[in-house]
Amino acid sequence: MDRTGSGIMSLFQSSIREISLNLHSKPGARLVTLLMVALAFIVFNTFLIISWNLQGLMNREENTVGMEVFLQRDLSQAQGRVIGDNISSIPDVQSVYFVSPEEAEALFRAELPERSDLLDVMGNDFRLPASLQIVFEDEAMTQGRLSELARQIQAIAGVDEAVYGEDYLPGLLKTVTTIRRLVILLGIVLVSSISMVVFYTVRLSVVRRSLTVDVMKTVGAPWWFVRIPFLVEGIFMGVTGSAGGLLLAAILSKLLSGAVTHRFMPVSWMTMVILLGAVTGTVGALAGSYEKER
Amino acid sequence: MLVTMNSVRLSYGRWPALDNVEMEIRQGEFLVISGPSGAGKTTLLRLIWMGERPDSGSVEVSGFRSDRIRKRELPQLRRKIGIVFQDFRLLDSRTVFDNIALPLQVTGTGNRTVQKRVISLLARMGLSHRRNAFPHELSGGEQQRVAIARAMVAHPVILLADEPTGNLDPDVSREVVDLLLEINRGGTTVVMATHDPRQVPAGKGRFLFLDRGVLRRADRWTELDQES
Repeated sequence: MDRTGSGIMSLFQSSIREISLNLHSKPGARLVTLLMVALAFIVFNTFLIISWNLQGLMNREENTVGMEVFLQRDLSQAQGRVIGDNISSIPDVQSVYFVSPEEAEALFRAELPERSDLLDVMGNDFRLPASLQIVFEDEAMTQGRLSELARQIQAIAGVDEAVYGEDYLPGLLKTVTTIRRLVILLGIVLVSSISMVVFYTVRLSVVRRSLTVDVMKTVGAPWWFVRIPFLVEGIFMGVTGSAGGLLLAAILSKLLSGAVTHRFMPVSWMTMVILLGAVTGTVGALAGSYEKER
Repeated sequence: MLVTMNSVRLSYGRWPALDNVEMEIRQGEFLVISGPSGAGKTTLLRLIWMGERPDSGSVEVSGFRSDRIRKRELPQLRRKIGIVFQDFRLLDSRTVFDNIALPLQVTGTGNRTVQKRVISLLARMGLSHRRNAFPHELSGGEQQRVAIARAMVAHPVILLADEPTGNLDPDVSREVVDLLLEINRGGTTVVMATHDPRQVPAGKGRFLFLDRGVLRRADRWTELDQES
């Protein structure tokens, strides 16, 4: 073999040419392969979109789980705000919002207009207690931690009562956890299945062109010269197929947006989908070419 | 010796393909290996280009021994060997020129040298006017000439032809055998496997007969006829 600079350059040019020839040969078969990969990814993308929206829904549900801390009636607003500042410094507390008696009354009338006569009956001197609305970090969303926080807050001077949905919380948290585990399990099954589909589709497409590999082998082509075109083809098919799957899923999502309110998946998830396509395509192509090159 | 086989045995499962084969091929000779289908002719050729390794015994080709050669050395050996198959094995998506140029391109030969050698071979094979045609546009004889040109373009020390006339009519077969003889006259060792040794004129080569994996010697094809 010519090992001079021009020889290496010629070999490099031949390799590029080989890649281009490979990508241009059998366009029909390649289209079928791409469609197969894209279809597999549509199923996966649909799952991802559902998961993304489900996660958003569950996050919203979790965020409604907060704590309402009623302050003693004889406290001034300034004292109430000081208690709020103290609570803010407790670990796992995300935010504290002070609700004055006036705001509490306005909220009551807005949210329960049919019951607002109750306030009128109580007379002008009656005032709802000031309260603090507390939102916790996600990590604190366990029944044990919430009841511990409630005890801690309850012990602060000036706090009358801390309420956090003890009745429905265990059920909600259990449901959210179960759904999350199911989604992860289903995700693993789907990633494995899609990897197998892409792997075998690309591998089959490489094996189908076994003549090229055989001829390359008999004319003394170095192993990398034989494999690189297939490797590039694998990456190309994996990336194009997964991107095609994303595009089709986006079109489907757009068409369904009128009927079902939902969001498309975030950019980071789309990147992961394309990466998954690239990796499975590469592994499939390598396995196919290795099998024929032996 | 260009090729030496010592006590070569090879089986496919229980089926013995070659049994205790002893053989030498000298530089510059024209060797005809004959025998019925399934006799082991193709296997013998595969052992020479080391597409197959013997179960026992050894094959030595141009300094490479089957029991010592490393996988990464196989391309080096194969660049010294030209191979022609019965089914031509041309790549559909490439033109005649590109099919012939392939062995040079995979070794990083410069474009100018590739052009020069391929054009010269095309002229020698009478295929200059077909250089831009694709394999499916050629006749069987033309396809086999392209295959021979591809096998010869890198100046191999030995040309292996596995039933090169198997898919051709008698006239074209004669042309192909003449071409192989001409190549041999140019100094290249030629090993031709065929089920019909009468295609090679008597006195033009050495004849070996393979019968169920056992190699027998003969001086002329008439003796092979009696053997078979």
